[in-house]
Amino acid sequence: MGKAVAIIGTGQTKHGRRNDVSYPELVREAVKAALEDAGLTPKDIEGVVSGTMPSMMEGISDTHLYFADAICEVGKPVLKVETCGSTGQSIAHCGFYWVASGAADIVLVVGSEKMFEGDGQATMSTVADPWFLKPFSAGAPGVFTMQAMEWMHRFNIPEDKAREAAALISLTNHDNALNNPFAHIKITMTIEDAKNAFIITYPVRLLDVCPTSDGACAVIFASEEKAKKICKKPAWIKGVGFRGEEYFLGESNKSIWPSATEAAKHAYEQAGIKNPLKELDVAEVYNPFTYQEMIFYECFGFCPRGEGPDYVLKGTFTMKGELPCDPSGGVLCTNPIGASGLIRLAEAALQVTGKAGARQIDGAKLALSHAMGGIDQFNGVTIVGADL
Amino acid sequence: MRKMAIAQFAQSAGVESKENLMDFTYRISKEVLDKAGLKRSEVGCVVIASSDIFHSGLSCANAIDWDGAGAFMVEGTRAEDSMFAFIYACMRIMSGHFDTVLVTSIVKGSENPENDTLTGFFADPFYMRPLGINETTAAAMQMREYMQRCNITEEQCAKVVVKNLGNALFNPYAHVRKRVTVDDVLNSDVVSDPLKALECAPKSEGVASILLAAEDKAKKLTDKPVWVKGFGTSMDHFNLGDRDLLNGQLKIAAGRAYKMAGIRNPKKEIDVAEICEPYAFQELLWCEKLGLCGDGEGGKLIDSGVTQMHGASPVNPSGGVLAMNPYVSRGLYRLIESAMQISGSAGGHQVDKKVKTALAHGTHGFAGQCHSLVILEG
Repeated sequence: MGKAVAIIGTGQTKHGRRNDVSYPELVREAVKAALEDAGLTPKDIEGVVSGTMPSMMEGISDTHLYFADAICEVGKPVLKVETCGSTGQSIAHCGFYWVASGAADIVLVVGSEKMFEGDGQATMSTVADPWFLKPFSAGAPGVFTMQAMEWMHRFNIPEDKAREAAALISLTNHDNALNNPFAHIKITMTIEDAKNAFIITYPVRLLDVCPTSDGACAVIFASEEKAKKICKKPAWIKGVGFRGEEYFLGESNKSIWPSATEAAKHAYEQAGIKNPLKELDVAEVYNPFTYQEMIFYECFGFCPRGEGPDYVLKGTFTMKGELPCDPSGGVLCTNPIGASGLIRLAEAALQVTGKAGARQIDGAKLALSHAMGGIDQFNGVTIVGADL
Repeated sequence: MRKMAIAQFAQSAGVESKENLMDFTYRISKEVLDKAGLKRSEVGCVVIASSDIFHSGLSCANAIDWDGAGAFMVEGTRAEDSMFAFIYACMRIMSGHFDTVLVTSIVKGSENPENDTLTGFFADPFYMRPLGINETTAAAMQMREYMQRCNITEEQCAKVVVKNLGNALFNPYAHVRKRVTVDDVLNSDVVSDPLKALECAPKSEGVASILLAAEDKAKKLTDKPVWVKGFGTSMDHFNLGDRDLLNGQLKIAAGRAYKMAGIRNPKKEIDVAEICEPYAFQELLWCEKLGLCGDGEGGKLIDSGVTQMHGASPVNPSGGVLAMNPYVSRGLYRLIESAMQISGSAGGHQVDKKVKTALAHGTHGFAGQCHSLVILEG
């Protein structure tokens, strides 16, 4: 079904506080890196997809207009796709379907955010409607905390155990980020630091939370024919899935998070994955909050429901574990939102093509990448593999 | 290419609605599914079109739109413009991964500030925004250049308004429905010289929905499938000063769509065109670039009367964007009107001639920075 599609190049900026460049210059940096990685020039690109978080993040709307020159759009077919935090995965899916449709052979996909030019938490509060949701949601942490509490109580997970596991996730990600030249937050820390960090919203503490970052990511998709011609080692798209659930939080069951569960299931079906823990070699999970990472493990079938903390404490998801998660340091250490989901895919592609440097998982052949968005509402998954 | 067709469609009126965003979205999306006899869960995927900036003061437009558009736990996504959404939906069908896609576009203009308060946010904050550049001021510069370089008169531009608002009198969904004369247009307030108030599109409500289906499926969902023959988009430079405002990207976007649809002589082969003209003169300029008349002949085109509803090449029988401007949805409205003309269901605004091939066009950005078009066929 559909034509085979591959990733033939990826590019990322150095993420962090980037006062040294303008917003278009920032995205250009990622595009240039992706083109160099693929050995292409702008004229080889047949279509461009771009996306960011809400307009008010940087106070510029419809940024595909603003970036026209920076991301090689001029004179080319373009599409603009956005689904809040899950934008990175949604634009990747657009690149995938574009090539799979046969309408283009090489499509450039670009995601970006320059969060130090705006107020991220204020912007995110405008996702909630002014009457029913806004009074409960001050930025992102409030929403994710409610979900963490719901999950712990639904599965009778002792708060201490979840706390311990969350601290280990924080440590693992921060350690991993030290191996990633693009990562934003690079600190050495201990489990105790995570457990004693100051409270943001109970039980979430500072080291459980992602930063705000400036950054961009570009990924080049190609048809089978072109990929085989241009690229020695492409990463093949094995499966994609995206689901969204209710807008009103109170109507949904966030402890089992149906959108995350079903998006992964959809992607697994296409990739022929039955036992993800065994079959996947590495996963790049969208983890802006440590507690959410554990819920994702359960939704993605890495462990049974309610047992996320047990698996974490066993070391299942560390660099040397059975299924290493976020060897890049994840969203927890780098979060330019519109790019974050695409960075997950770029990192997964680097892993299955053996190009991940110090954060490489030996022999990785099949990888999951993911992003989440909305008011805890949307999830997108893309599976990439070393083999067609 | 896998064949696909518009199977069903529905649209809201442009006047202020008392429905909230969610109910509004639900009503129109449901109408399309009911017409097709489909359950929500039977749809392959949902593509929403909405814009973070034209969205009632809410960010992440897909968040609140999701439920009403029937996308709960269905594969789906969102595009920033309705033409983009439709073209992306076509790609999803062409890929073979889906047989049906529901495309719903959402704008509730009555809950938005003035259009140009919002289009001003297209401008970069450092160089353009302090100059007061927005869609209208950019269009005014384009109009001045068009008048000077191509000898287009203000009367010719005003005639577009007379024609389109005249057509809108027959379209029950149109927002602005009043008969005006060339003098009315010329005497209306100057908004941004040389643009007059009546030459600028209003700010409208607009939820529109289309069910797109692959060939086999389409034949089961409707008696009158309207086939998608081709599409194209193209993007121009960002800085106005870097651009030739009269020779932008529309010709290139059109070339892509025509090539895909096998159209060699658009003037002859396009039976009716629905063109996105937020500013009256743009209908003339876009007609030139679409090849519906020669370069610089937009003025003669309107004078000749062929673009009138009962002329040889009707343009905007719906009344166009001048009569109804739900910013993000306006592309989908052009598509729906084209589909109505092809299927002969346009009622009072059905053109006289038999329509086999129709063109639907959309644009956004300053002075047509980005153009998209779709070719439909009966």
